[in-house]
Amino acid sequence: MLKEQIESLLLKVKNPSRYIGGELNSVVKDKDNIDVRFAFCFPDSYDVGMSHLGMKILYSLKNKRENYWCERVFAPWGDMEALMRENNIPLYALESLDPIKEFDIIGFTVQYELCYTNILNMLDLAGLPVRSKDRTDDMPVIVAGGPCVCNPEPIADFIDIFILGEGEEVNLELMDLYAAMKKQGASKREFMLAAAGIEGIYVPSLYDVCYNNDGTIRSVIPNDPHASGAIKKRIIKDLDSIYYPGSFVVPYCEIVHDRAVVEVLRGCIRGCRFCQAGFIYRPFREKTADTICRQTRSLCESTGYEEVSLSSLSTSDLSDIEETLTQLSEYTDNENINLSLPSMRIDRFSNELMERLKAIRKSGLTFAPEAGTQRLRDVINKNITEDEIMNACKIAFDGGYTAVKLYFMLGLPTETDDDIKGIADLAEKIIDLYYNAPNRKKGRHVQISISCATFVPKPFTPFEFEPQASFEEITRRQKLLLESIRSKKRVNVSWHNYKVSILEAVLARGDRRLCDTIYEAWRLGCKFDGWNECYRYDLWIKAFEKTGTDIDFYAHRMRSYDEIMPWQHLDYYISKEFLIREHKKAMNSETTPNCREKCSACGVSVAVGGACFGKN
Amino acid sequence: MEKTDVRAVFEKKGRAVFISHLDLFRTMQRALKRSKLPVWYSQGFNPHIYLNFPLALSLGVSSSTEFMDFSVTEDIDHDKAKDMLNSVMPEGLKIIALAKPVHKNQDIGYAEYDMKFSSERSPEAMLEELNGMMSMETIEIDKRSKSKGTVKMDIRPYINIIYTDISGNCLEVYLRLPAGGTLNINSNVFADTFSDISGISFSGVCAERTKILCKNQEIFM
Repeated sequence: MLKEQIESLLLKVKNPSRYIGGELNSVVKDKDNIDVRFAFCFPDSYDVGMSHLGMKILYSLKNKRENYWCERVFAPWGDMEALMRENNIPLYALESLDPIKEFDIIGFTVQYELCYTNILNMLDLAGLPVRSKDRTDDMPVIVAGGPCVCNPEPIADFIDIFILGEGEEVNLELMDLYAAMKKQGASKREFMLAAAGIEGIYVPSLYDVCYNNDGTIRSVIPNDPHASGAIKKRIIKDLDSIYYPGSFVVPYCEIVHDRAVVEVLRGCIRGCRFCQAGFIYRPFREKTADTICRQTRSLCESTGYEEVSLSSLSTSDLSDIEETLTQLSEYTDNENINLSLPSMRIDRFSNELMERLKAIRKSGLTFAPEAGTQRLRDVINKNITEDEIMNACKIAFDGGYTAVKLYFMLGLPTETDDDIKGIADLAEKIIDLYYNAPNRKKGRHVQISISCATFVPKPFTPFEFEPQASFEEITRRQKLLLESIRSKKRVNVSWHNYKVSILEAVLARGDRRLCDTIYEAWRLGCKFDGWNECYRYDLWIKAFEKTGTDIDFYAHRMRSYDEIMPWQHLDYYISKEFLIREHKKAMNSETTPNCREKCSACGVSVAVGGACFGKN
Repeated sequence: MEKTDVRAVFEKKGRAVFISHLDLFRTMQRALKRSKLPVWYSQGFNPHIYLNFPLALSLGVSSSTEFMDFSVTEDIDHDKAKDMLNSVMPEGLKIIALAKPVHKNQDIGYAEYDMKFSSERSPEAMLEELNGMMSMETIEIDKRSKSKGTVKMDIRPYINIIYTDISGNCLEVYLRLPAGGTLNINSNVFADTFSDISGISFSGVCAERTKILCKNQEIFM
């Protein structure tokens, strides 16, 4: 039992409660009655991982099955990792405090590219070889799912089995298969071959990748009859009736999103061309007001949370949002529970909505125009107008807000200097709007925060063909933006670290050859790459050099329409013809209406029987 | 709104010792919410459950007598309410009793601790070191204060060792230390001082708060 050993170290580390389990609603079972033990790993810190909804759903879902036990595992922060290594404590799961090396299946949820090195580090800390080929039959099967596995190639050497798409059904199917084959005494390879027959399962070692002389991919060919030519992602048909947890594990320490979360819809109707989530989570499906209220009530009662948030990619697109909010607030107001509504679109921002937001004491409002001019907003299919932005700000100012935060991206395809200046112009117009408001409180000033990310082209988006802007070009555009701002006192500008965005760009559209690079970066000491204080660009550069990897090839090259993408054998129901069509429209600044207005024939409707919304 | 004050006596043991004071605050608010007791909320723009902890407990120290005050909007049966709360408490936190508060926060003067020290030295040797320390005329430590930064302070007069015992490889020290708003010396300060002066690096220090007393030596309740 590791418990005593762990406890003896805890007073030496920051936030010890995250390393010892025992939280309310955590599930503890008798391991002697368990057929399959599953270690659900989030490759980031506890505070980040415990905020993740997908983990909460799959944790409860698996534990509902009496003979399966799913436990939580997070990446220990540097102080704890050092003590664990020093004292030979292997990576353990929080419920049993048993080493995860003893488990049947270790599963990673891969939410962002910058956690790849943490996956390697966690495997190593568990006492397992990081490469699949070096792990023997007596070691756990390593699986991975989540949005990043829509292009899993850069981590294909480390993971035995990828789970594509939504996990509720396929995870249990995989565990059922495992339980049956474990009883028969099957080998790991036999299990992997059988698993490849489940829809949504991708076993990377069953495919060989060949390359052309110019470095692009020539072919991805199955090397075993069990492997199919195209692997389809899984989709839950009916969101309203699918399992949703009635309780969450309630952490002791503060985590990033410390509240009850009810998922209200999946997919997105908008089709913003830069947004990977908007495509890979299609089709759009929603829950009814009744279901949302029932799930809210159950979660709040079992956790005691004082805040509940309605989660989705775009909550204002819920068809009966008004009915839902009316029903919900009856309950939440009565129980002194705050209702929070992230991800609302500017064009749906209303007085009523603002009143709700004010009730949860937000100091400022955040909008995401993404681009500074209408032309560029049309290119990215953001489908909001300047009038709508101004109107939302007007409502906010009338409601007493004096701070507005605006999100933009720099380096979007076709971006010109005029688009950069457009960001500054928009800020100035919003300032004028504030000072021209007739009933403005005298003596109070407005503050506009402009936050700029660098555009990262992602797989399964119409911009997957596009190069990322170079470091020099982004630096020039950042400087231009600063120079274009006239009210320097009222506007502050910040940006994400470009050196992080470039790594994201390389990894997001990378191929299998990057496995060696990631391995090398991890070996050099890279981990927690998503954390500014831990990110070591210099070590990554070393890893690129040592493995002969050309950053420009992955990040800064225009890819032709007929190039075979590293993820092309994975079917997310988004057809390449659609992506090419959308890319061409983008180049002509043509917009595409949202899915509710008109079907854009992306390809996903076949998965739901012909039409996502009634008759299209 | 009418409200009645309730004082809960609870224990904090096992894995719950790793819950910090700030986190305990949130943990208890959530437990009260789950219990569905008619808890009083602060009246304001952002109503929240009112809670008062008369004496904070250091991280890593367990306790058999902690106190927490809240208010209710209607009369409750203390025994029933205790059961309702215990049915929703996380591991390691347990309500022992609910009662009407007798003393005020500022009445608190002392707390007693049961401490067990283990190290590579024998318990007899540790005891000898302890006796040596306690025979010193002054025990000067650097004490942090909010207003003056770090100040030198002699804590010898404030350490009241009630008994010592040797059990297995451990040295057990049962002692009383000043607690509360005027002067607070927690068990960690004692353990660190003991370690500094004796030069022993302890492999384990288990501390449990067993009593909270008023300035007039009455049991705080």
